[in-house]
Amino acid sequence: MITEFLTIPGVLILLGCFLLPLLPERVRSSVFLIFPVAALAFIMMRPDGYTITGAIGNYDLILFQMDELSRVFGLIFAITGLTAGIYAWHIKDLSQQVAALGYMGGALGVTFAGDLFTLIVYWELMAVTSTMLIWARGTRESDRAGMRYLIYHVLGGGLLFAGILWHFTQTGSLAVQTLEYEFTVANVLMLLGVGVNAAFIPLHTWLSDAYPKATITGTIFMAAFTTKTAVYVLIRLFPGWEILIWAGLAMTLYGIFYAVVCKDIREILSYHIISQVGYMVVAIGVGTDMALNGSAAHAYNNLLYKGLMFMAGGAVMYAAGTSRLAELGGLGKKMKWVFALYVVGGFSISGLPLFAGFISKGLIIDGAGYAGYEGVMLLLLLAGVGTFLSVGLKLPYFTWVYDAGNKIDLKPIPVNMYIAMGMSAFLCIFYGVFPNALYTFLPHEMDYNPYTIYHFVEIMQISLGTFVVFWYLREKLKGEIVMVLDLDWFYRKAAPATRTVFVNKVDRFYDLVEEGILATASWSAKVFKNPMTWLNPFTDKKNQASTYSPGMEVVMSFIMICFLAIAIFYFI
Amino acid sequence: MNNKIWIALGILFLVTLGFEFTVLADYDSHWWNAIPAFYAIWGLAGCIVIIYVAKFISKKFLNRDIDYYDN
Repeated sequence: MITEFLTIPGVLILLGCFLLPLLPERVRSSVFLIFPVAALAFIMMRPDGYTITGAIGNYDLILFQMDELSRVFGLIFAITGLTAGIYAWHIKDLSQQVAALGYMGGALGVTFAGDLFTLIVYWELMAVTSTMLIWARGTRESDRAGMRYLIYHVLGGGLLFAGILWHFTQTGSLAVQTLEYEFTVANVLMLLGVGVNAAFIPLHTWLSDAYPKATITGTIFMAAFTTKTAVYVLIRLFPGWEILIWAGLAMTLYGIFYAVVCKDIREILSYHIISQVGYMVVAIGVGTDMALNGSAAHAYNNLLYKGLMFMAGGAVMYAAGTSRLAELGGLGKKMKWVFALYVVGGFSISGLPLFAGFISKGLIIDGAGYAGYEGVMLLLLLAGVGTFLSVGLKLPYFTWVYDAGNKIDLKPIPVNMYIAMGMSAFLCIFYGVFPNALYTFLPHEMDYNPYTIYHFVEIMQISLGTFVVFWYLREKLKGEIVMVLDLDWFYRKAAPATRTVFVNKVDRFYDLVEEGILATASWSAKVFKNPMTWLNPFTDKKNQASTYSPGMEVVMSFIMICFLAIAIFYFI
Repeated sequence: MNNKIWIALGILFLVTLGFEFTVLADYDSHWWNAIPAFYAIWGLAGCIVIIYVAKFISKKFLNRDIDYYDN
């Protein structure tokens, strides 16, 4: 029983968090890699329908549950954990390693959770461990962004937990299963809770605020787990909820807009995550078998190529010490491998043939088209234009091709970074060329071949059109040192006012009350220290207790004793 | 940019256009398929709109100094 319990990927990896600190520093990074590999092995071994149960009090919990959907997400989380672990192999910081491992454990735990209580535990674990990856950067900016991130995720986790409790009291069920399309309090709370992690607009600001400020290696983990676990939970709980189509569409277009106007590699890529997750959310809203497959496949591929792009962007930042486009440029000759690997990611995410994006983006866009949402399909294609423009052309052009005349001293990049990027790039091309290697893992039966002439014509024409416009208008997208406001303005600008009202004013009130109490005490001590001045108005006001007559002392003592006796009697 | 690349891209476009008019059997699944080279136009026009609209909104309302929140 115990050994079986240890084969749960989430538990296994969390054990690693306790093991890592006990190991010597030089083997730690290598041992780190064992855990995602072991998780991968156990995920491949377990057949569909395999469950491990446990109980806490009267509640029967399903600690592990395997089916097609959890397998495909589990596989890619473990693979990403492995590549990100290799990318971060040169890092010796124990706290980052433990946090990253715990974060991966949380993501795998959510994926295989068979009930909502197990799910929320891993969910909250992810929030805490990922915050550590932001704080590990150690700058004033990252400290503050980490705190905002944590507050946001505590709020999201709280909403989800409240929804789960409400749902449980209403239905008595803790099962992770499809919810009816009804806006009951429980459902809305759960949707909002998951929506925070999925970065629904306007709940997305934690992502674009914190991801660019985390450590270079930490961002690779963050770009992978939080939003994609949310996509997984959305597929589980809310498939076919039509509102998700509109929520997702808003995300794709909003993300694209910011990816076009931002001027920092990591900001561009972070906003672009929102756009990509938007595609998946649209597909979940459409809810047909094909669209749900598309959502899972796109999440799978997205982890590969988005990870690759963040890795390449991180490599530039590592080497050059900056990720601002205005301070980069002309690195093509000096970093040609990183450039080439990035381009694989850029072509994949833009959905060009022979790359991974081609086989999953088409599933979503065609899925929406077949289900009758033609307007949605056109807007998704428009978002595809923005994708190619922002991360497929603008970002690589101003980093590697365009020479702004900046003098940049490059630090050599560790070999392990190249290995990790190479693995991801290989998988991007592998799945692009052999789509069935991925399609066989998808949860629903479908008959779909991405390599049709129609699909080829569609994507090539769109990409050609985009490229021509980019080439003639590229000066408009040139890097500048600028910050683009987002909706976090409302709470970041309101922070001083909020602090004044809820912290400083409250503090001041307590101060006043305390001062009042002290003043009353000192006044009464002064006035009542000599009762004779009250009992006998004709005596000298300044008379001293030591000058009382013996008779007076007896009376005073008697009063005091009576008072004490009454007090003791009353309390006993 | 190299003329050869432009020529290659031009040929690629003509190939897609050729496919559109000849080989495609299911080229009527959406209303816009009646417009020749619709996807190229969508890409072209979409890209222009995105660049100008995004540029306009960010310049007009959203761009700030890099240390905006610190001050």
